[in-house]
Amino acid sequence: MNSLLMRHIRRMVKAVAFLPFYLFALLPLSCVDVTEHEDTPEGNFEALWRIIDEHYCFFDYKQQVYGLDWDAIYNIYKVRAKGPMNDYQLFEVLTDMLSELKDGHVNLYTSFDNGRYWHWHEDYPSNFSDTLQRRYLGTDYHIASVAQYKILDDNIGYLYVGSFANEIGESSLDEIIKHFAFCNGLIVDIRGNGGGQLTTAERLAARFCHEKTLTGYLQHKTGKGHNDFSDKEAEYLEPSSRFRWQKPTVVLTNREVFSAANDFVKLMKCFPEVKTVGDQTGGGAGLPFTSSLPNGWTVRFSACPSYDRNGQQIEFGIAPDYPVGQTDEDFAQGRDTLIEFARKLLAEWK
Amino acid sequence: MLPLTAAAQSHMIGLGPSRVLDTYISQEKYSGIGLTYLYIREGKKPGKHWQNNIEHEIDLSKTKDRTNTTSMLEGNYNLYWGRYRQWLLCDNRLKLQAGGLANVNLGFLYDMSTSNNPAQARIALNLMPAGIATYGFDIKQQHFSLRYELNLPLFGLMFSPHYGQSYYEIFNRGNYDHNIVPTTFVSAPNFRQLLTLDWQATEKWDIRIGYLGNYQQAAVNNLKNHIYTHRFVIGITKTIGER
Repeated sequence: MNSLLMRHIRRMVKAVAFLPFYLFALLPLSCVDVTEHEDTPEGNFEALWRIIDEHYCFFDYKQQVYGLDWDAIYNIYKVRAKGPMNDYQLFEVLTDMLSELKDGHVNLYTSFDNGRYWHWHEDYPSNFSDTLQRRYLGTDYHIASVAQYKILDDNIGYLYVGSFANEIGESSLDEIIKHFAFCNGLIVDIRGNGGGQLTTAERLAARFCHEKTLTGYLQHKTGKGHNDFSDKEAEYLEPSSRFRWQKPTVVLTNREVFSAANDFVKLMKCFPEVKTVGDQTGGGAGLPFTSSLPNGWTVRFSACPSYDRNGQQIEFGIAPDYPVGQTDEDFAQGRDTLIEFARKLLAEWK
Repeated sequence: MLPLTAAAQSHMIGLGPSRVLDTYISQEKYSGIGLTYLYIREGKKPGKHWQNNIEHEIDLSKTKDRTNTTSMLEGNYNLYWGRYRQWLLCDNRLKLQAGGLANVNLGFLYDMSTSNNPAQARIALNLMPAGIATYGFDIKQQHFSLRYELNLPLFGLMFSPHYGQSYYEIFNRGNYDHNIVPTTFVSAPNFRQLLTLDWQATEKWDIRIGYLGNYQQAAVNNLKNHIYTHRFVIGITKTIGER
């Protein structure tokens, strides 16, 4: 038995020694790999700082606006992320570091908290009250996906879209526009809309678009350098092929209008029959990406900058055509100052 | 004596570890367990020096990061169509095959813990030099064959978003930025090897066990990715026609 096996093995070795392709197997395997940071406070700090350093898209712009210096921030926070510290302490240090970016799209997600920077709306009046809104909507309003809508007493349509997180179907948009068909004007209220899907915002805006329109520009990073960007690609919006709204429109905004909702305002401002009323939007012009840290925490950050049709930054928001804030007098009388201003504007539209 | 000159179809199921990296989604590596189904059809015509092989490989893995906090799903389908020149040596006990194969790869990665850039599509075409050695032997009047297949990288084409480019920009906006990338054995050093041992259980059927290693990797558009799968495989081989 042993001699039989040995004979087979000898034959195999003899034959295989002449196989030309066997030489290929001797080629050193080249690996595509990365070096991971250690799961320590220092390692997580280094990983987070580097992820942002290599992927974040607004370094130059924010350096111009308020002097952001990411290299200097490294030296400041490296000292704080040292030595024995628990998860809560590390979370505080890393969140503080990310807050230097002043970006609502930058978050640190853990199982016990979400790191965030929300000063872009927390430091300003909301100019929106659902108590007041209820006085206009009543209880007999209609609901279609994320949209609530009703015809107000003065034959002005009122459409509230508090989020773009879910789609609004084309059929729903048809029904909404048909419902408002005999109205003199339309109020599109997006106060408090923190964003969601860009495609939902574009689908709604396309109902107000009557010809192919240049709406802005989009870029992405092509490498790790702070200035490694692709060319700015022009963005166009095509008119919807279904029912479209042809009459005057007012969009109500506040500081909580962010991300996809900010983009919606960017689109709507391209149309001559649309005016915006309220406060500056919250901004959020970078398409967010995510990555993860050695300790399993997830970080979100702005990765692809978008610009308005003039090529200008909208990361810190879009100013309204008519700056209007909620007044205490109106609040006391149960009146929404912005809605009332919009109704008057539509009534006097020329 | 040996099933070296007959056509055959093999079905195998494999289980084993997977390791995943894709810097488009995360800088962290993921590891876990995966399942693979592998079908091989070796078409052999008596008296011909050339033969065609077809292989279908379907792979699915669930992986986690090193802290078991976030999960990544990985799925891949690979079609390999190969054409080989064959030589019979050592009294027909050893069959050597050398040639090349075309590989079509379709796959995905899906990060289950996020809604921003959670997925990555994998689409690639590869031309790969390949070789197979099959050796037949008997032990205690039982017929066995040992088979080793090696696929090496040469060049190809693959889809990849650019470094920080979103799928929204590619597919909703139609903005192209080097998303179809020519690859070589330097930028996409993909390797694959299969080692199997067959025991001839009946005239038509063999029982097969073995190891399948598939090492797919690429460094394009300033992104790095790899999917390493190691599978212990078990299966059956059916001989078609006369052995």
